[in-house]
Amino acid sequence: MLRSLTQIFCDAVVPMLKRAYRQTAMAAAIGFCGDWCLLSCGSKLLAVHSKQSRDSYVFDCSIAEKKAKTAKDDSDSNKGASEDTKSDDILAFTVSPSGKLVALADNCKRVVLFHCEHSWKCVSIRFVVRKCTALVFTNAEDELLVADKSGDVYSFSVVEPQREGELKMGQLSMLLNITLSLDDNYIITADCEGKIRVSHRRSPYNIQSFCLGHNEFVTALLVPLAGCQFLLSGSGDGTVKLWDIESGCRLHSCDLNIFKETETKLNEKPTVCRIISSPDGSHIGVLCSRVPTIQFLTLQLMVKDKLVPHSVLTLPHCPLDIAFDSEGKLWVMMDCSDKMFNVYTHKDGEWQCNAQSLEVSRITEAFNPVWETVETSTRTKLWFEHLHKRSYDNVAMYMQKKEQRLKEQQLKRAKLQRTNNNKKARKETSMKEDQSSSSTRKPDDWQKE
Amino acid sequence: MEVSMPQKRYYRQRAHSNPMAHHSFENPVCPEEMDWSQLYPDFFTEGVSDKEMSRVEFADIGCGYGGLLVELSPLFPDKLMLGMEIRVKVSDYVQDRIKSLRASQPGSYQNIACIRSNAMKFLPNFFFKGQGLVYTITDVEEVHVWMVKHFTEHPLFTRVPDEELVDDIIPGRLGSCTEEGKKVQRNGGQNFLAIFRRIDDPNQD
Repeated sequence: MLRSLTQIFCDAVVPMLKRAYRQTAMAAAIGFCGDWCLLSCGSKLLAVHSKQSRDSYVFDCSIAEKKAKTAKDDSDSNKGASEDTKSDDILAFTVSPSGKLVALADNCKRVVLFHCEHSWKCVSIRFVVRKCTALVFTNAEDELLVADKSGDVYSFSVVEPQREGELKMGQLSMLLNITLSLDDNYIITADCEGKIRVSHRRSPYNIQSFCLGHNEFVTALLVPLAGCQFLLSGSGDGTVKLWDIESGCRLHSCDLNIFKETETKLNEKPTVCRIISSPDGSHIGVLCSRVPTIQFLTLQLMVKDKLVPHSVLTLPHCPLDIAFDSEGKLWVMMDCSDKMFNVYTHKDGEWQCNAQSLEVSRITEAFNPVWETVETSTRTKLWFEHLHKRSYDNVAMYMQKKEQRLKEQQLKRAKLQRTNNNKKARKETSMKEDQSSSSTRKPDDWQKE
Repeated sequence: MEVSMPQKRYYRQRAHSNPMAHHSFENPVCPEEMDWSQLYPDFFTEGVSDKEMSRVEFADIGCGYGGLLVELSPLFPDKLMLGMEIRVKVSDYVQDRIKSLRASQPGSYQNIACIRSNAMKFLPNFFFKGQGLVYTITDVEEVHVWMVKHFTEHPLFTRVPDEELVDDIIPGRLGSCTEEGKKVQRNGGQNFLAIFRRIDDPNQD
């Protein structure tokens, strides 16, 4: 039986998409955990104390325990070879609000929990069913929520660090980010279709609202301290939007294209990678992929257009990631062997670069050896760029064929109509001529036409 | 404009289309921005205020060749109905069928329309949150058991018992007016019906 065009198409495209999704999330990332500067790069998580000369802590996922093989795994032995060569790259990490806990998810489906209050300790290594894209601690710090590529959210207990993850909610589209409202009442998830879903945390099957408005995948989410009933989101459509969490109402949209310098290509939408907030909530920074600037916005609740563009910080290179430390200094990580980190302080109405600080040297020194081990190609890979909506269209093909068919049918009918009309006309003429004695054409001649 | 009835043989497509694949659809970004006037022109004439504007109240998820829509249209002439179908050819067939019916019977069938989309992903883009009833029907008993299990286990749905459906004219028609339904009848098969009502969250504080 002939397969439909659509089915053939799907069979070809879905495996291609699956391959695209296997790539790592951010190749390198920076975050802060109290006074510890956290850096992830390849399969390694590095924690460097920014103030004191303490030993760095390194966790290397490539030497971490692998999942214990079950009978089922053995039967899938044909997958064995690919499992061994798969990278252990870190896909995402998160820090708890107090800075006492850190968790990461890697390419080998591990979820690792760390305590770091006085010293670093890897508390547990648990496993997930599908690769994760984002994680977040609850504000109460009792649970770790993990979002995966199949669209599901699992909860991992912090209090019982060995307890298996529990499925909390799911949907069809792949999730790209997850966060919580500040009171832990709502789980907020963002997917690759551009939908943001707000679900009740205690009963996640109950969807409170959808924040709909982005035209492309949503990569960044942030609940601002200045307005905890609001949500900020960033997308591949080049906008940052402000929402009311409970109603899903879109309050404001900020097009980041306006920040672009005229030299850069105007037809390429900037893809938002990260939205960060200074500890006091006064500065909101937006990082877009392959753009050498950071756009700053402020949230002004008393104003109609609550999201107000504030300033633009131009950088010497496109940043890999950005983060605020606990003192409100902005750290920018760049792929530049001479100067990996730039640190800025907001003073006198502008972002001033701390030229040479002890902190930066200490961190750079600790990070360089790790960074050098990662291949250049992996360092700047941005997996979600593959998620831009494709322009292929199986409808156009079908419509073309349909039009052709209808045209052919029309022509056929018209031709048949003409033939019939001619036959009719000639028959009438012939009948008239028969009535008179002379006839110029014989009935037999009609057959030949 | 082609107004003669479309012939099914030109619109045949196999029953399964992968909902996880990335087809390109024209979805509204959100329900507020959906322009229903394109689908139901008679219901959205000039001068109709937002309050008076009709809303789609029936949705046929996976409407196939439109049998149910066509059957229910004259029975609920004031209710707007939308069929959602993921397959290109099949959704096009329904659209052509509705165009043809509207042309041949002026004033009728203005309340039904069909849209090509993936309901599993984009239902929230079209519709606001609402209460209501879910009618499920299948001739495969395992599917029926599976649907009943999941809806029953879901805290936000409860099964509507048969006694409450005595006055509902829909259940009786579900099994007979669609292509699949008619096929089942011809083959002497059985249809399994289950209807559920959306309820408030029993676990809500």
